[in-house]
Order: sequence, then structure tokens, then C-alpha cells
Amino acid sequence: MKNIFLLVVCLFNLYTFGQTSDDLIPKEAVIVLGINNTSLLKKISMDSLIQYEFMEEVQAEMFDGSADNKTLKDAGFDFGQKLHVFNGKTNNYEVSGFSFGISSLKDLLLVFDDFDKVKSPINGIEYYNSYFNHLIIKGKAGLVLRVDPSYEKIKHVTDSIWIKRGNGYFFDDKDKKGESEGDDEIEDPLNKILKDGELEADDTEVKLNAKDIINKTYWELKDSVTNDLQVKYLQFILNEIFEKNVHLKNQDSKFATQLTHDSEGIFYMDNSRNLQNAKGLWYFQTMFPELFKDIKTLYSGNVVVGDIYLKDNAIEFKLQANYGKDLGKIYEKLNSTKFDKNVLRYIHEDCAGFFTYNINLKEGYKQAYDIIIPMLSKQKDPRVTSNVLKAELLNEFINLDAVFDTYHGSMFGTFNGVKKVKTKRIEFSYDEKTFEYSEKEIIGEEEMPMFTVGFSTGRADIPEKILEYMGKMTTRFKKTDNYWKIDDAIFNSIPVYVINRNGLLVITNDESLAKEHIDGYGKQALSGKQAKNAKKSKFMYSYFNIGEVLSKIPKQVFTTKQNKVLDSMRGKEGYIELTTINTSEENTDFEINYYFQGDYKDSGKYLLDLINSAFVLAK
Amino acid sequence: MKYMVFLVVFLSLTSCVEIIDDLSFKSDGSGTFKYTINLSASKVRVNSILALDSLDGKKVPSIQEIKDKIAKYKEIISQKEGISNVKVETDFTNFILKIQCDFTSIIALQKAVKEIVLDESKNKKEIESYWLTWEGNRLTRSIPSITEDLTSRLKKEDIEGLKKGNYMSITRFDRPIEKCENSASLISANKMAVMLKNSPYALIQNLNLLENTIVLSDKK
Repeated sequence: MKNIFLLVVCLFNLYTFGQTSDDLIPKEAVIVLGINNTSLLKKISMDSLIQYEFMEEVQAEMFDGSADNKTLKDAGFDFGQKLHVFNGKTNNYEVSGFSFGISSLKDLLLVFDDFDKVKSPINGIEYYNSYFNHLIIKGKAGLVLRVDPSYEKIKHVTDSIWIKRGNGYFFDDKDKKGESEGDDEIEDPLNKILKDGELEADDTEVKLNAKDIINKTYWELKDSVTNDLQVKYLQFILNEIFEKNVHLKNQDSKFATQLTHDSEGIFYMDNSRNLQNAKGLWYFQTMFPELFKDIKTLYSGNVVVGDIYLKDNAIEFKLQANYGKDLGKIYEKLNSTKFDKNVLRYIHEDCAGFFTYNINLKEGYKQAYDIIIPMLSKQKDPRVTSNVLKAELLNEFINLDAVFDTYHGSMFGTFNGVKKVKTKRIEFSYDEKTFEYSEKEIIGEEEMPMFTVGFSTGRADIPEKILEYMGKMTTRFKKTDNYWKIDDAIFNSIPVYVINRNGLLVITNDESLAKEHIDGYGKQALSGKQAKNAKKSKFMYSYFNIGEVLSKIPKQVFTTKQNKVLDSMRGKEGYIELTTINTSEENTDFEINYYFQGDYKDSGKYLLDLINSAFVLAK
Repeated sequence: MKYMVFLVVFLSLTSCVEIIDDLSFKSDGSGTFKYTINLSASKVRVNSILALDSLDGKKVPSIQEIKDKIAKYKEIISQKEGISNVKVETDFTNFILKIQCDFTSIIALQKAVKEIVLDESKNKKEIESYWLTWEGNRLTRSIPSITEDLTSRLKKEDIEGLKKGNYMSITRFDRPIEKCENSASLISANKMAVMLKNSPYALIQNLNLLENTIVLSDKK
């Protein structure tokens, strides 16, 4: 009986504390990308994977050229567990790394051969170090972690020790930016607001041996502080994950839910924490802590989660943008609108790409006004109070119906391919007798991408008034029977046409639309599945035929670098479709689907091509 | 909007440049040099590039910065010995730049060019020799070494873009031309001027296309 009891306890412990890669993501992580496609990684040999440019750096770091004929499976990874890549930032430090499952520790350590085993700061884990990177192994899961203290924190602690030892303030020319961002006191109000676990780490005094620092220069002291903070924050994170069992999965239910999905990849981004850690808002946070707190509350719950599904001939991204109650009320009002069917008549059925966007700006404005003005009204700061008064007076005096009838908030845009447009140019011609030359103006042609954008309007008379005024002011604005022509509107060379009809204000550089299709494309207008999808999608819909767009644009218009990226997509026919599925007070669901046709082994290969393209573009 | 501009930039297509280099000689070796760059056939592209902050990681100058730079060079050229009557005309609607100056001798003109190149080059590399020589009734024209340096730095795709352009090199005299060694030379009907016409692309592929020796008649 005693043995059975012990077995039950052991199994319970294994269940409770047997951590997987899902449980090793620090709660500080703001962005997480999880890969769950075992078939994808098992199918791809290391040799083909390392041909991608994005793998070169990983390859250089991990395999040291000793990976011939090996697959990722040979590297000791367990594909029964997900691979998570994460990054996060607090006011005091940045944390990045990845967590993964381990099938063979021996093989894994052959891969991570530049990591040295050191004494573990936590019981029950194996600990390896390589410069700033740390490899922590617990059971069948591993975590590669890097922790970097923030510049502000390092400077704050260094200065406090430096000044306490009788030195004056140290001016650092190289760090002007940091100093211009002001005094280090900004952390106090922030820490008061945040009230999260990191406070425990913040307030811990950095204990340096006086004998060590007595003769140190400022820079040496700073290095010591950096090192000490790194150790301290690392210890703090490890304590949380491995001793207290505190990690992102059990701190954020949305992330935990995401982990239960059977998609090939998951995505998580906590925008609300991005806001509170944004350095650009330090002044706002410091000067208006209460207001910042209100805005943080308004922004709370603003988390984007998503799934990536690999299908035979498609990659599907399902995204959900979550938000708090108040922001949700605004979004819900913004979305309380009907699709304007008129826009479809100005989208050609063969259009290579278009988008439609529908919001009810009037209702959204009213809701935002009701939520934000009371928030601002609580402030006693004269600047805020003055702006609140201005907003309230404008709200009273302005004819809001006229404003929002002129622009409802809905618009559309199309890419109509590349066409030749007439432009004037100067040519030099010479006299055969003397070779004296003279200038003459001739009409030439240049190829231009054709764009159309349009807005729904219930007050055609208001834009017409503005156009008529402009027509009196400059000869570049010319009115014809059906449309306005603005000469040299684009890059001082290309005319733009404005069509103010059918409840729409349409602006285009496509002359044929203005001259031949003033009321739309008629039977050639968009219809069928795409039209239905656009209507159904309400808030936002877009469609781009990637193969067609790329085939219409000559290579020479792109730089070498851009062509390198596009080459991986050329010849692969397909289209991208963005659809809004549903909007509620809590969240909005989007789908971005990439459908492709052609000779491809699998969508995983296609996805890697895309990842590589994105990597090259971002480099 | 920023992305729209970017998109339009990279979608706008043609690139075409017309360059006229026009040298007028008097019998005493003095003369007038005119240089014209005409980008009007590419003005959509030029305008779209000017709308950007940077291109390929390099800062795109504003029109004012270009104007300032031109004014600076005008000032520098004016101060060179043997150079006078410097005129610069700019047309930023059609993107045409015309530079003109008088010189007392072909050596003075080349010396001025060499000094400016030396001042402006980062590695202070000097153009070693003269590329124009005047011997009373014979003008010999070669290619300055710096041209080879500059063209070798051009990327393949940049060179491709120059296929549509025109490069006209005109040399005028106050005496009739007797003969030219470059078989591609065109002599004007009045025999007082010679022209070599190429595309910038062809010139970059073979800089010798502009080499010429022009022999003048003794009689005016």
C-alpha cells in the first residue's frame, strides 16, 4: 500500500512538475512563435535547410560545419514537443531565447558544443554557459536564454555607486541619447504602476565587493554592474520558472489556450505590455502617471494570438486581436456598418489586387469620445485640461453630421496593373550642317503602376466645393463634364483624375477609368466569390494575386536585394486573401490565407521560402 | 502613404539619360566647354526617387541640397586659373543641367577638372595624365583614368539601365576638319565640327569609343 501511494505521488509530481518546452517560456515574453509541425521538420534534411540564407547564422552557431547528412532529428531535438522562440522586455531587462524538447541530451550537446557545463544555480537542472547565452536543461526539455539588463538600469545602479563613493556625476558623451532621456528617476513612477514580480528583482541592492571597486574606473564599474545585473535577473527568471513554476503559460490564459491548438505554428504578442515597456512613452508616463495608468487599463488585454496551418496548397494564418472592454466597445461601434456595394463597380474583375475597408467613423467617434474624454477630464494638468476643453467645444460647435456624412469611414483601393502614360520630355535635336543643337518638347510615354482609391461619401457637394475652389486657384485643376483632372499631380509629371459620383469620391491615375468607365466597369466589375467575400468580410478584406502582380512588374524596377527576395516568389502562382471573420466586444478574428498553385513538394517548403524572403528583406 | 510612395517608386519604370559634351576650340587653344545632362525622359523616376529619404541605404538629397552643391561647384570652377565666364543653368521641372565655361587653354581646363576631382575624391587620388592634347592643328582625345575607375564601380543592373540613353560628344573648331581617326566620327556638313554619338551603355562597355584624333586643315 505504501509503495502504491509513493508511485501515485511520483506520478503526480511528474505530471505537475514534469516541465515541457511549453512550460519554460518566461512570463516576461511578449512575443512567442511556436512551431508544432513535426512532419515539416522531419521531412527537411539539414542539407536543404541550410541552403536558406536565414539558416546560415543558425548553422554557423550550432553546427560548426559538422552537420553533413544530419537532420534536425539527429541534433537531439524531440519533435513531440513544440519549439518556441520568444522575446520580451521589461523596464529593467530584455529576455530572449527558445525552448524545445530533447530526445537525446548527448546529441544535443554535440550541437551546442561551445557551451560549458557550470554549477547550476538551481537544484534539479543542468546548466551550461556560452558567453551571454545560457542553456538550461530539465528532464526532457531545454531552454536557451539570454538576459540583457537595460541601459537605463545599468546606468542608474552604476551612477548611484559611483556618486556614493564620492565621485561627481559622470558625463558620458557616447551615451548622449541615454542622458538626454533624462534622469533615472523615471523608474520610480513606473515601478509603482507596474507592480509585477520584477519589482522584487529591482529593489535588490547590487552588492559589489568594495575591495573590487575601490580602484575601478567608471567603465570598469559599469561592466561589473552589468555582469552583476545579468546574473541577478537570470537568477530571478530561473527561480520563477524552475522553482516557483511561474511561466507565461500559467500566467496568461490566452497563451495557454493557444498551446492547446493543433496548428503547425502558433503566434502570441502582448501589445499591452509592449505599450507599458515602450521607451518612447517615458515622458508621458512620468509626467502623467495617472493618465498613463488609465490608458494602460484601456489597452489591457490587447493580445494578438494566431495559428499557422499548412495545407496541401495553402498556408493559412488565423489571427485573433483581443482587447479590453472599453476598447472593445469602440471597435464594436466602428464595425456597426454596412458594406458599400458601390465600391465593387469600380473594381475590375481582372484586378490584380484590391482592398476594401469599412468602418462607422461616426459611431466610433461618439463611443471613443464617451470613453476617452471622462478619462482626460480627471486630469488637473493645465495642458490636458485645455485640450479637453478644446475637444469638448469642437464637439459642440462642429456639425458632426456633415463631417461624418462626407467621410463615412469606408474606403477601397485597387492596383490596376502597369500602363503607359503620356509625359512631356525635352529632346535635343541638332543641325546636320553645324551640329548646333536645340531643345524641343515632345510627348513621350512612361510606364506607371495604376492605382485607384475611393471613399464612400454622403455629401458629394463638400469635396466638389473644395475642388471648385482649387480650380479657381490653379490651372492644374480642370473640370470636365464627368470628372476633375489634376495635372502633374504625381511626381510633378503624371495627372490624377477625381470622380465624384455614385456616392463615392474616386481618385485614380488610370485615365481609362475616368474616360471610359466613369460609372464603373459594369459587367466587367468584380463579382462572384471575391465580391461575396468582400461583402461578407465587412471591416477589412484584401486580395492580391501575387503571381500576376509580380509578372506585371519588370525586374529592373527593383533593386538587386529586392529581386533576390522576389525571385523566391516568382513563378509561383498564387494569391493572398485577408478576411475579417468576426468582430465582437472582446476580439476581432482575421484570416490571412495564401493559396498557391504550381509544382511544390509541400506547403512547408513554400513557408520556408517565404520566411527566407522575409529574412533577406529585413536584413 | 509612405509605403505607397515606395511602391510607386519601385514600379515606375524607364530610366533614360542624355549627355552632351561640347568643346569649341579656337586656333590659339582657348575655347568653350559645355556639358549638358538631360534627365527629362526619366523625370517620373527622378521625382519618385527625390520623394524618398534614402535609396539602397544611401541618403537621397533634396532639390535644395542639389542646388547648393551645384552653386558650390560653380564657385570652385570660377576660381580656377584660366577658367572664366562660368554659367550654370538648371531646370528642376525637366531635370536638365547645363554647365558652360570658357578656358584659355586645354591644359587650364583639364587642370581645373583634375583639381576638383582631387579635392572631392575621398582617397585623394589624382588623375595622372591629360586626356586632351592640342598641337595647333591636331586634337587628340583619350579617356581619363578616373572614368575607368568610376565605371568599374557600377553594378551590372545600373549599366543595363543606361542602354536607352544617349551620349553625344561634339568638338568644334574655327577651321575645317581634314580627317578623323575614329571611323565612327560624323563630320558636320560645314566641316567645322565632329560628333561621336553612343549610348552611355556602349561607352561603359568600351571606353575607347570616344578616343579620337582630329586633324584640322591649315586654312581657315
